[in-house]
Amino acid sequence: MTGLYLRWSAIVIAAVVIAALTFQDFEQHLTSLTPEDVVSLQPTRVVRVIGLVKGGTLRGDLESGHANFELAGQQDTLPVQYDGPPPENLRELKTLVVIGAWDPASGTFLAHDLALVTNYGYVVGAYLIGLLPLALFLLGMERKVALLYREIKESKLYEPETPHHVDTR
Amino acid sequence: MPFFNVIRWVAWKDLISEVRSRETISSMFFFALIVILVFSFSFSMDQAAARELIAGIIWVAFAFTGIIGLGKSFSAELQNDCLEHLQISPASKGAIYLGKLAANLLFMLIVEVILFPMFVIFFNLDVVEELPLLLLIFVLATLGLSTVGTLFSAMTVQIRAREVMLPILLLPLAVPVMIAAVEATRGALHGDPLSLYGNWLQLLAVFDIVFTVLSFWAFEWILDS
Amino acid sequence: MIGSMIKWMQRYEGWVGAGGGLCILAGLYLGLVVSPPDYYQGEVVRIMYVHVPLVQTAMLAYATLFVGSLWYLWKRDPIVDNLCHAAAGISAFLTALGLITGSIWAKPTWNTWWTWDARLVSFAVMFLILAGYLMLRTFIDDPEREARYAAVFAIVGFVDLPIVHFSVEWWRTLHQPLSFSMRGVSMSKDMLIPLGVMTVGFSLMFFYMVMIRTQMLYLDHLLAAKKGRLLSRVHLSSDVGSSPSSLSTP
Repeated sequence: MTGLYLRWSAIVIAAVVIAALTFQDFEQHLTSLTPEDVVSLQPTRVVRVIGLVKGGTLRGDLESGHANFELAGQQDTLPVQYDGPPPENLRELKTLVVIGAWDPASGTFLAHDLALVTNYGYVVGAYLIGLLPLALFLLGMERKVALLYREIKESKLYEPETPHHVDTR
Repeated sequence: MPFFNVIRWVAWKDLISEVRSRETISSMFFFALIVILVFSFSFSMDQAAARELIAGIIWVAFAFTGIIGLGKSFSAELQNDCLEHLQISPASKGAIYLGKLAANLLFMLIVEVILFPMFVIFFNLDVVEELPLLLLIFVLATLGLSTVGTLFSAMTVQIRAREVMLPILLLPLAVPVMIAAVEATRGALHGDPLSLYGNWLQLLAVFDIVFTVLSFWAFEWILDS
Repeated sequence: MIGSMIKWMQRYEGWVGAGGGLCILAGLYLGLVVSPPDYYQGEVVRIMYVHVPLVQTAMLAYATLFVGSLWYLWKRDPIVDNLCHAAAGISAFLTALGLITGSIWAKPTWNTWWTWDARLVSFAVMFLILAGYLMLRTFIDDPEREARYAAVFAIVGFVDLPIVHFSVEWWRTLHQPLSFSMRGVSMSKDMLIPLGVMTVGFSLMFFYMVMIRTQMLYLDHLLAAKKGRLLSRVHLSSDVGSSPSSLSTP
């Protein structure tokens, strides 16, 4: 039985390690700026900005991948110039993640990539529901088998049976 | 014992006992009437909606009615140890299966043939030209339900919760039959040309052949005591 | 047959289980940390690494049940019956998890929890058939009849599943699906590797679970049978007047 618990502790530890690595990997996608941050900080390195494409501001030739729009936050709006692969999700009034850098010369945010706001709830939920019941099921079965073997050994079921005497009088 | 005689005798036995007691067909018939009534209250249907839904309603009614008939087919054998006699008889078990299948098929068809005019009357359908085709659809689909249904009826007759186990076992496997029957009936009632829904009839025929053979083979294992 | 199969399982179960566990852990790392997100679906595509292996393994489990049922009807070996029961229980479990994870994947990608697609419907029918199988086994009291009837039902159900799939597919092509695009995953090599590793891992894990569960069912029946016989032995011995010493409390 101890072997069983040792095994499962090792598996749980390994799973926790992987979960931590995953969270670390996702975190870079979770951290993002608002348009207010970009307007005030004016970062020249590549950042992610989440905002709403302001209605009436979307212009450009989407087929070839050029667009101009304004990304609205709570208070400020950020002028964005997008040059990249033809955008799938670019529509007015849609909340998007815009990836790029601030260009001091033109005073706009030069974006080279767009992405949807990632919702990790589904991924986490699916993995938990997919793996946790399976692990519990397997743990339950292994425990039961170990207990059964122990019970068989203790009850000495495999001793030779003593022949019972039949009274033939 | 000669094979075809066994089939005839088993089917004849069921038929005669039904003629004398009229138990199975009358209970099936009244149950189906109630189902029709409940459906007519469940959907508030105008003429156009009725034509869309009627094929489905017909086959739901026939399926549940058929399950009652299939259940009775073997539960009637429980009295007077008839089931044990079938189990130990030297006759080929496959022949017994075919006899039971013939009887079940006949009872379900009789009920359907009596009920269908009621559908026509209550829901104002226009079916005169397509009657032979509709009859063919009824025969093929009912045969599909009966093949697997007779096998499962024999399986479930001696276990606990017999009444509920037969639908639980039968209906998932009968999904192709239901889909094909509803689509073919809908096509026929709309007056579509046969080429449009002929593939459903082919599916029904394939299902019938495959599962008659399979159940014929499997009955050996079911009625083995 | 019983003894040799149990011995064989006891020998290899460690390897199979360890292999499965390592593959799954490796697959989790590759799928969650290393592999890139999909162009269209984004991060949500990672659900594929747990949903697809679950579905594949569930179908593998039913195939095992089918082969086992045929084997039982041919050889009538009680340990094979335990194998079938074990495979069915695990298959039902995996099918349910596959349906749930598939639904969770569908919501962000297709914007619906369920759709009447041929694969989903036939997979749901498979779950219903397995549930019916387990209920049948529970409700039959005589163990020999239970084994026979269950084997027949499993075989009939297995033959029916392709027909169900075809009929629903034809039915779907008649009634046009809702107007959402069921765009698939753009499979690059980076995605195929974690998927393959996870599939292998889940398959090995299934075989391990079947080995464990078969032993569990067999030992359960063994203990119950032996206890029953010990009880009857007490009864006999008290009639005759001699009581064996090595008796556990019934």
